[in-house]
Amino acid sequence: MKKVMVGNHAVAWGVRLARVEVISAYPITPQTQVVEKLSEMCADGTLPARFIKVESEHSAMAAVIGASAAGVRAFTASSSHGLLYMHEMLHWAGGSRLPIVMVNVNRSVGAPWNIWTDQNDSLSQRDTGWVQLYCETNQEVVDTTIVAFKLAESLNVPVMLMLDGFYLSHTAEPVDVPDQELVDRFLPKRVATYKLDTEQPHAFGALVKPDAYMEMRWMQQEAFRQVPEALAGIEQDWARMFGRSYGAIESYRADDAELLLVTSGTVTSTARAVVDARRGNGEKIGLLKIKMFRPFPTALVRDALRGVPRVAVLDRNVSPGHGGIFAEELRSALYDLPDAERPELFGFVLGLGGRDITPAVIDEIIEQTRAGTVPSREDLWVGVNP
Amino acid sequence: MSESMPTTPGPHAVPQVAMSTMSTLATRTGSWKYQRPVYHDRVAPCNARCPVGIDIEGYLNLLREGRVDEARDLLLQENPLPAVTGRVCHHPCENSCNRRALDGAVAIHAVERMMGDLAHQRPAPVFKGTPRAERVAVVGSGPAGLACAYHLARFGYGVTVYEAAPEAGGMLRLGIPEYRLPRDVLDRDIARVTAHGVEIKCGVKVGTDVPWSELTSAYEAVCISTGAHTSRALDVPGENLPGVRPGLAFLRDVNSGLRPSLGERVVVVGGGNTAMDCARSAMRLGAKVTVAYRRTREQMPAIKEEIEDAMREGAEFVFLANPVEFREQGGRVHAMVCERMALGEPDASGRRRPVPTGETFVIEADTVLTAIGESAALQNFFTDVEGSDAGLRVDALGGTSRNLLYAGGDVTDLERTVADALGAGKRAAIGIDRHLRHHAGDTAELNALRFADGNLSAARWTGRDPVRRTAPVNDVVTPDDVNYTQFRRAPRHGDPHLPSAAAVQSFDEVNPGMPEAVAMEEAKRCLNCGVCIECDVCMIFCPDAAITRTDGGAYVIAMDYCKGCGICAAECPRGAITMTQDRP
Repeated sequence: MKKVMVGNHAVAWGVRLARVEVISAYPITPQTQVVEKLSEMCADGTLPARFIKVESEHSAMAAVIGASAAGVRAFTASSSHGLLYMHEMLHWAGGSRLPIVMVNVNRSVGAPWNIWTDQNDSLSQRDTGWVQLYCETNQEVVDTTIVAFKLAESLNVPVMLMLDGFYLSHTAEPVDVPDQELVDRFLPKRVATYKLDTEQPHAFGALVKPDAYMEMRWMQQEAFRQVPEALAGIEQDWARMFGRSYGAIESYRADDAELLLVTSGTVTSTARAVVDARRGNGEKIGLLKIKMFRPFPTALVRDALRGVPRVAVLDRNVSPGHGGIFAEELRSALYDLPDAERPELFGFVLGLGGRDITPAVIDEIIEQTRAGTVPSREDLWVGVNP
Repeated sequence: MSESMPTTPGPHAVPQVAMSTMSTLATRTGSWKYQRPVYHDRVAPCNARCPVGIDIEGYLNLLREGRVDEARDLLLQENPLPAVTGRVCHHPCENSCNRRALDGAVAIHAVERMMGDLAHQRPAPVFKGTPRAERVAVVGSGPAGLACAYHLARFGYGVTVYEAAPEAGGMLRLGIPEYRLPRDVLDRDIARVTAHGVEIKCGVKVGTDVPWSELTSAYEAVCISTGAHTSRALDVPGENLPGVRPGLAFLRDVNSGLRPSLGERVVVVGGGNTAMDCARSAMRLGAKVTVAYRRTREQMPAIKEEIEDAMREGAEFVFLANPVEFREQGGRVHAMVCERMALGEPDASGRRRPVPTGETFVIEADTVLTAIGESAALQNFFTDVEGSDAGLRVDALGGTSRNLLYAGGDVTDLERTVADALGAGKRAAIGIDRHLRHHAGDTAELNALRFADGNLSAARWTGRDPVRRTAPVNDVVTPDDVNYTQFRRAPRHGDPHLPSAAAVQSFDEVNPGMPEAVAMEEAKRCLNCGVCIECDVCMIFCPDAAITRTDGGAYVIAMDYCKGCGICAAECPRGAITMTQDRP
């Protein structure tokens, strides 16, 4: 069934199809429609979930932590300052190995106050023990929401889904809504490994002493190591049933490329159009989309970039005092490639606070990368006069 | 039973999540606390402020639970005349009600009246304590005398009440007009007292028909409750002119069925309940009434509703008016000269004092009724009993300076209200009982019979208080102790009124009373200040799930887990949990 819907409603549809049992969320621009749509679905009975109203994002995450610990499928959504307000609880969910799925609609972080998109909100949560997946289209949002629960529940890790504020959250696209019966077969009711159970009473979340803390962290790390493979397997199942898959990364027209653009989020769609146009001119330019930021798909990107002469990384984010965050992660991932195989990497910081990234901007980046002789450690700020 | 959770999987012999593998008693988190919650039932302000000493919160709670007969019996343990007080009490209970800060005080008077009327239809069983050999005489059958006799009868004594008037009731019958207190209602409440075996001898004036000495020799104890019947004089020229008369005498006439002619214009001097009774009675006799009061409406001592009713029924009020002279025409009063007053500093009563301005004005009047207070006639009693112009002096149990002579009500120098009289009668009864039983108690023991610093409880005195209280402390719950966010707003139900135009045409009861169903709803508005009603809020809010409920309904706090965070005490809607640093 095809429906035209905005990204925020695509989230709600994904949650509904995943038969989420508990939702607790607090509205914030540009995520509000997620909460509105879900509460409507709960109210009209199309989504028979318990919607817990709360006074803050901290409580929203605390509530879904409680629900998830009780063994049910739980969901929340936030953005920017709301996500930051959850920070403590994000760690708690990660460390408790609770398979919560949340959506973060990417929005810049104040000050200065700004409601438009960039990735600094979610990227600043990278060490909280959550899988991070950045989506490009509304179809991907619906599909990934469901896939995320399967991934989360298979390894007991929480998963955070990102979509760009307004560029995706408020943009309507046709979406093929997966069939509920098939989704049910793909994602059966959650069976919790650990749960609060009056039949087997255990206390959760108590003090862990130095003799066990590191072992538990190690097990968390082990789970994250398994994520790429697990996601690949789950996506294979999904592709068999629904004919679509996305991958932790995606190479687009990358064969024999002399220059690869590296993108995440909605910029990818713009970059695809630029790549198509350049390939039409016979230029050897391709694209690498990075969907999964945590765990960082090191092995995958190394294979994808090995031997490519030049790479331009588009970062809609910045780590002040360092640079674009994806670029830094890639430099780290490519470091131990042999010199001959290691691409020259150019980092570009752009599109912060919702500034538009047009094909012309990407064209300029391509030209700068071609002209560049020495890769810049200090990433280039596109459109900003120094 | 679900599959067992993997507590020690993998090579590291630790679970994937921080999960207890033994009893949670391995970590007694309760040992961290430096304070702990204790269930302490405290005192609702209504109970503390009730001059009668009624367990108001207690009977409202029983009504909430639908235990109507038990509520009635609890009420009747303290108050012999609820149908009377439900109509005429000045209800300090409502003035102190913590619900005022939310959406209006509980209309306790209306609930009490419903209960009083209901007890006429469905009387409580007469309670008689173990019979006692001693006999007690009570002089005067007003509220103080009736209460004293009633409680003594319930303590097991034979009681005889001497009443000078032809019928029992004292000021209830002779002072309070029928439109406030219908006579059949009064009769039925008095019948409850006589049903307890109390003998009332009407038309016998002690000191005249029977010498006081006969009483002291024939009875083991005597209680004087003869009231205050002398209207205070204004002490201004012309006060003795025909047409100027004490309001109390006028009320006595009207309440005895006489319909004195007043002329067209009646001026009532005073701002108390007697003044209001005079004004409204005079209007019912066809007069146009002006009330002259030397302070302003705010300082009027009359019950608020009485002032409102008098105004509604058409009485005109002239404030800051102090009579200085009555003028004569044709052998009777024809005008009252007033001095304009201004409000000065507060006096001993806390009300702002009227101070003269020197300016005078004239109010024309065919009749003037003076109602500026009453005093007791003391000359009639024993010469060796201490007292003053304000009345007899009594101790905390109604004892006078003479052994086995007790007193209560308006004859003493205490507050002069129906409720205070009922409370004083009860105190005297307990005082007499205590003395005759040679019971030597101390102040602490007496205080345990009170709701905070309120009146004594007969239920507690007799050890028949049916209300279970957990570790009670005599500490009144203030609005700060109430967690108002836990209560849904529910506006106070109002009293119905006869239309004023019709009301002034007769002496029919003006307030027909709240229908029973409405009064039952009103009872449910009670916040149950300070008293645990097992609402479960503490149990729900305890972050450590350390509170459980026993089969009996009481809560148990697992001190091994309670960290003393105080959330239960903060969330308790009614201040029934106290944090303490005492060790258990």
